[in-house]
Amino acid sequence: MNLSRPDRLQRLDALAAEYALGTMSPRARARFARIARNDSNVAAAIRNWETRLAPLAEGAPPIAPPPRVWSTIVQKLGLQRIPGNDGPWWTRVAFWRSFALTSFAAAMALGVTLFSPPPPVADQPIVAVLAGPDAKPALIATAMRGQRAMIVKVVGGSAVPAGKSLELWMLPTGAAPKSLVVIPDSGVGRIALPAAPDAAFANVPALAVSLEPAGGSPTGAPTGPVLYSGKVERFY
Amino acid sequence: MAEAPRNAERNERLAALMARVALGDQNAFAALYEQSSPHLYGVAVRIMREGSAAEEVLQEAFVSVWHHAGSYEAAKSQPLTWLTAIVRNRCLDQLRRRELDTVTMTTDDDDGKEFDLPSGDPTPVELLLAGAEAQSVRNCVETLEGGAKQAIALAFYQGLSHAELAEHMRQPLGTVKSWVRRGLERLKSCLDRSGYVRS
Repeated sequence: MNLSRPDRLQRLDALAAEYALGTMSPRARARFARIARNDSNVAAAIRNWETRLAPLAEGAPPIAPPPRVWSTIVQKLGLQRIPGNDGPWWTRVAFWRSFALTSFAAAMALGVTLFSPPPPVADQPIVAVLAGPDAKPALIATAMRGQRAMIVKVVGGSAVPAGKSLELWMLPTGAAPKSLVVIPDSGVGRIALPAAPDAAFANVPALAVSLEPAGGSPTGAPTGPVLYSGKVERFY
Repeated sequence: MAEAPRNAERNERLAALMARVALGDQNAFAALYEQSSPHLYGVAVRIMREGSAAEEVLQEAFVSVWHHAGSYEAAKSQPLTWLTAIVRNRCLDQLRRRELDTVTMTTDDDDGKEFDLPSGDPTPVELLLAGAEAQSVRNCVETLEGGAKQAIALAFYQGLSHAELAEHMRQPLGTVKSWVRRGLERLKSCLDRSGYVRS
């Protein structure tokens, strides 16, 4: 039966509605799903109905699934063990594991070279190249040991959605992330450090950028997903 | 347009996660699970009426999401809509398959324990109204006739088929079918008029 014929569009729409709602008999449902796999008009009619109906499901109070559901998913997919409900991303082992690789690859991609002979101490740089999962540099943060300042510059990554800001965080060992700066729209920012870089980054192995509401996190801790991260490298 | 700002923000956050899941980002996948699974499990439990069956659907759905996140098109549907549709369809497929199986097989009553919804869980019609309220289209649901409203709510939140609706509502099958069909037509024209669906 060719449901895409113009004279059958109304019938098609009614069937798609019943499929999306779920009231069709078992056999009719299986048959209609089969047709949809081969006919993009039928698939589109179903999708339109799903788009109408699915948001109405948000009236149902959420119910937390038992933790074993996540463990099974992780196991089935052979993923690294990510503690699903075990605290925020910066405390997760998997974040630090994947991050070590991406930040190394990012430094390679940038062709970071060492100075020779070494510059005077005050000019020795501390650099973090922050990258997303694709290991392409998205943001570079640099401080000179002699200056209580850090410069950040956006060099790649995806466009920041309207109404959102990027926020740069220090990730101190054993402590909560500390905000460094909300990256200005210009993509370049200068941060006054609370102490000389040696002291300010003494206990900070890494920096990360999270996606936050415009103007930065309202809570003082990262609220959005981490987009980029990178290791703090000392070039001396 | 008719969407509450809080929803818009959440959808944006989930869309950013979906994009990263498509790149194979495991942390994004964990975050996506954290942020969407309570909603999706709530949907699955109400339809499957059985905790273990709902868990299985949720597991399969997320395994599939990990493999097919790349086929999610942000321009065509909101991330939660996409995820909800995956979960609902899997629930319905399972329920209907089970119906077919029971024709030839004896039912195994010990198979799964009924899931105890929190006491005072709203009725399907209340859920439907709350859902419509959240999307600022409550009026579209309110204009449905009583029978149509109840039939659609029961089908949507509890996964009842035409035949089950007829039995549950003690009405002839034909009556229930036409309630559903006319109700859906009416819902469609009201929702589409409200600018609620982008297409």
